[in-house]
Amino acid sequence: MADAAIDKVERTRAAGDEPALRVTGVSKSFSGVPALRDVSVEFNPGEVHAILGENGAGKSTLINIISGTFPPSEGEIWFEGRKIEEMTPALASSLGIATCFQHPAILDDLSVLENLRVALPAALFSRPSPPEAARRMLAGVGLEVPPRMRAGGLSVAQKHLLEIAKALALKPKILILDEPTASLDQDATDMLFARIQDLVKSGTAVIYITHRLAELRRIADHVTVLRDGRVRGSAPVGDIGDADLVNLIVGRTLESAFPPKSPRDGGDIAFSATGLTARGVTNVSFDVARGQIVGIAGVAGNGQSELMRVLAGLHPATGAVTLHGRQLSPSELLHEAAFMPSDRHTEGVASGLTVRENATFSALERFATGGIVDGRKEADQVKAIFGELAVKAPGLEAPILSLSGGNQQKVVMSRALLSEPGLIIADEPTQGVDVGARFEIYRILRDVSEAGTPVVVNSSDAVELEGLCDKVIVLSRGHAVETLTGKDVTEARIVEAAVRAETHVRESPPNATASRPGGLRHFVQSDNAPAVPLALVTILLGLYVYSQNDNFLSAYNIYNIFLLATALGFIAMGQTVALLMGGIDLSVGPLAGFLVVVASFFVNEDKSALVIAIGFLLMFGGAFVTGAVNGILIRYANFTPIAATLAMYIAIQGFSFLLRDNPDGYISYPVTDWINWQWGPFPVAFLVLVATAIVAEYVLRRTKAGWRLRAIGSDEDSARRIGTRVDLAFIGGYVTCSLFTALGAIMLMTQIGVGDPRQGVNYTLASITAVVLGGTSLSGGRGTFIGSVLGAVLLTEVLAAVTFLGLTQTYQYLFQGLLILVAALIYSAVRRRAAH
Amino acid sequence: MNAPPLTPTAFSRPAGLPMPLARSFVTVVLSTIVLIAVCAVFAPSSLSWGALSGSLPFAAIIAIVGLGQLLVVQQGGFDLSLPGAVSLSVVVATHYPQQDDALLFQAVLVAIAFALAAGVLNGLLFSVFRLNAIIATIGTNALLYGAVFAVSGGVPSITTELLAEIAGGETFGVPNSVYFALAAMAVVSFVLKKTVVGRRYEVIGASPSAGRAAGLSVRTHQMMAYVFAQLLYCMAGILIGGITREPTAFQGDSLLLPSVAVVVLGGTSLLGGRGYPVSTVVAAFFLNQLSQFALAVGVPYSAQTIIQALALGFGIGVYSLRWTLNVRKSTG
Repeated sequence: MADAAIDKVERTRAAGDEPALRVTGVSKSFSGVPALRDVSVEFNPGEVHAILGENGAGKSTLINIISGTFPPSEGEIWFEGRKIEEMTPALASSLGIATCFQHPAILDDLSVLENLRVALPAALFSRPSPPEAARRMLAGVGLEVPPRMRAGGLSVAQKHLLEIAKALALKPKILILDEPTASLDQDATDMLFARIQDLVKSGTAVIYITHRLAELRRIADHVTVLRDGRVRGSAPVGDIGDADLVNLIVGRTLESAFPPKSPRDGGDIAFSATGLTARGVTNVSFDVARGQIVGIAGVAGNGQSELMRVLAGLHPATGAVTLHGRQLSPSELLHEAAFMPSDRHTEGVASGLTVRENATFSALERFATGGIVDGRKEADQVKAIFGELAVKAPGLEAPILSLSGGNQQKVVMSRALLSEPGLIIADEPTQGVDVGARFEIYRILRDVSEAGTPVVVNSSDAVELEGLCDKVIVLSRGHAVETLTGKDVTEARIVEAAVRAETHVRESPPNATASRPGGLRHFVQSDNAPAVPLALVTILLGLYVYSQNDNFLSAYNIYNIFLLATALGFIAMGQTVALLMGGIDLSVGPLAGFLVVVASFFVNEDKSALVIAIGFLLMFGGAFVTGAVNGILIRYANFTPIAATLAMYIAIQGFSFLLRDNPDGYISYPVTDWINWQWGPFPVAFLVLVATAIVAEYVLRRTKAGWRLRAIGSDEDSARRIGTRVDLAFIGGYVTCSLFTALGAIMLMTQIGVGDPRQGVNYTLASITAVVLGGTSLSGGRGTFIGSVLGAVLLTEVLAAVTFLGLTQTYQYLFQGLLILVAALIYSAVRRRAAH
Repeated sequence: MNAPPLTPTAFSRPAGLPMPLARSFVTVVLSTIVLIAVCAVFAPSSLSWGALSGSLPFAAIIAIVGLGQLLVVQQGGFDLSLPGAVSLSVVVATHYPQQDDALLFQAVLVAIAFALAAGVLNGLLFSVFRLNAIIATIGTNALLYGAVFAVSGGVPSITTELLAEIAGGETFGVPNSVYFALAAMAVVSFVLKKTVVGRRYEVIGASPSAGRAAGLSVRTHQMMAYVFAQLLYCMAGILIGGITREPTAFQGDSLLLPSVAVVVLGGTSLLGGRGYPVSTVVAAFFLNQLSQFALAVGVPYSAQTIIQALALGFGIGVYSLRWTLNVRKSTG
């Protein structure tokens, strides 16, 4: 019906006042749970169109569909009168649709400048210079940070501003803002609104997601309300009153939804917290009377979640916690409190395990005698509690993720109750829970509290706190600024207290790194910083060994060390590519050996130049196929990088033996001489390696391909949202890795001089060691080719040094082990310090 | 409001077996039965008593190191220190007694002490210093090999008679090493599936953050993974010291890949979580029998390796496909 109406409007419209964007009949479900149902909305140019709704109403799903993050299950998207067949992030940005996500698509491992450049067209940076252009973009949103600073050092609010700067720089036709002010202070909010008004004047359509009525009144022209995935109403802002809007948003009357409150007021104190102070929480005191539920409220990010963790005994804090008149030590608190985390997917349930296992893992002692669990007792108790809580599950042994969000949350509650806690700490207990289950959860919390267990609930939903709690503590900047009880526990009073105390989050003081300019500081934090200490260690070690043995620094020996390091260096560069993407390639060693075996059939003394050329071509061809297969197995067959490259490792070894049972096929001397060409004490091949590393480094730091590679390793989701074709880039990365390995294999070929199927495998671990020494992180996103080459040189040097010092092989291994462990420990300590 | 029924109809069905048979177990057992059938038809010699009693000790060794690798994989790790660990216990068990039976017991104690030290080192690096498991175990492996050379100088030594008798002998016609493997499997299985500690171990492997939020001590459990893995490697190394007359100093090198392969074939995810010890041991037998079969029908070594890679790839493929389907079902 609605579609028909809209179509009619569409047809009668003149081409000039087309809506900028129109979605018709859009539906989307996740695991069978509908998130959007038949949603149709029009967004007009020169208008701020607010989308209003509770948590889980489908607002974020809608904008993800508009911006192409995922496709709708049904429905169409029309842009300026054209139907968009398949919206992708890349298409959206080329059409001029810019999105500021609630969780900014900012890549922590890239610098602020790189974050801007990877997401925006190069043309925007052509004048005057990239850093200057970036500085202007940042100034436009009042963000004063050095462009070379790593984005990981930004505060949450600064990341939001950066995200907004990215969107504004595109001068978008459609700007989507998903709760942009959640973490902004008052000045930043005013600035943002001014910028939005400028944009609207120039004809941009702004889609503004919010759940604050006040903002809506200030900025929006039109409003659409979503509830439970459906459009509940749409009107010009001036035509609709707050009361009507609230009714549309909530759509239920409170009395029927919530269980009755505690009839007692006051009474015995069951639980009290006095002067709690911890990171993010300052001097919070309150008490809970028997039978009462206490709510924690405030604008998001004002210390609520920290307080919940303190109350659960998970974060250290000063102050006293008393339960039923007895003061608890930290370990007693941890034992007594049952914590229901807000992030159910990562903290609430252990995915991959069954419903039963998830329901009992914190309560196992109760079913155990002498540490051995009684399965029957466990199953009986789980059945009993599931009956009480009305958990709907296909069976006790069903995977936990096969349950709906609400039932998963009930399993988390079951676990909390089974552990017979003295105290229940529920952090956002109804987030992502469907409406029916939500009321069940309220009932359970009320029952538990009636039975005498104190309950503390944190919720960002003031309506929920009003309906559920007997007492609400409002936090602002970590302080308890208001305690509401009895009739004062209303949505209005809660919101008022939260907002009046401190309108917005105070901007966290910019950290030292941000405020202190200067190149040195940036260099120390940069990916290439390890190069300096590595080079120093390499030189000092060289000098030390030289002082013990004159021959060490002879031209001949230097040449040899560099020559050995060249093979490892190329392979390590390949490994660096894999690690930068957050992967790993275990197959590089056998691949290098295999390629040498391939070469041993072609690159021989008696072969013509053409045959030799074909041999080299086949080496690169084999490398290409190997890399592509690795990449495809990982991206399309869902292998983990380790599993895929391990299978490849074994298979390639097999192929080597298939080609040659025993060493044979001597490599041509002229070719070897040519490759090992010496220039002073240096092999020319090593100089080529260094040049390659510098070029690769340039590509990594200064081109879109490099930024995207690092973006994938840093955060795949964000990389996708800024328009990276992740699958393709990943396969490309593995191919690059294998091609570098092929270069290493050419060097290896001259060293072995014969096709030997047993050679090469050691290069897998050696390459990982070299790369780690060079300072590349195995968690992806951060790495350096120059470091990897230096790592390869140092590793080769250490092995040579052991011989020259007349030490046994014991020391060779010992030094290798110590080197990698000490380097890894230092790097991880530095990174952790930089993160704080 | 759609109030759900208060009587738990879904749970009133009799649970049947206390632990339902894992699909990976069914897969790996079926594959093994098929393989045995194929062997019986095409290469009956590979199933002869002589062939089996010759190859079973090696299957047992792979099973034991596989169980160790399993424990580490369950915590989302990957233990590359296995070669060094196995080689070290081999050389300690052979070089230290120098064919003197009386010193064997002490040698075993020394090997265990090394294993504990290496396990604690790995565990500390992983859980306390938060190093990547691969880096930590590469480093530890190099240190262990340092110790191997310090003990042995890189040369083989002849094993003691007592050890050869214990590890290489047979009881009731079955190689003793098989009993050791079965005992290791029974203990690992029982602890993981039936005890409080083991159950929590699996939870923490599946989701360290969920474990942390529930107040479990994540670090201790992660430490245990590496310590117990080392003890299993140590056991394998000592057995090799007895089974092989003159074991080399690099005996562990050839075990790393099979150890990971059997864990994966056993159905345990490399991302951590639930482990399948019994399936892992069956997979070790499967992998070993696959080589025996290839050997019996005269396939060259190269093709054997490729067959193993294919089996591994196939196994991972089957399991990842299943996971994908599950994930698809639950997310969209």
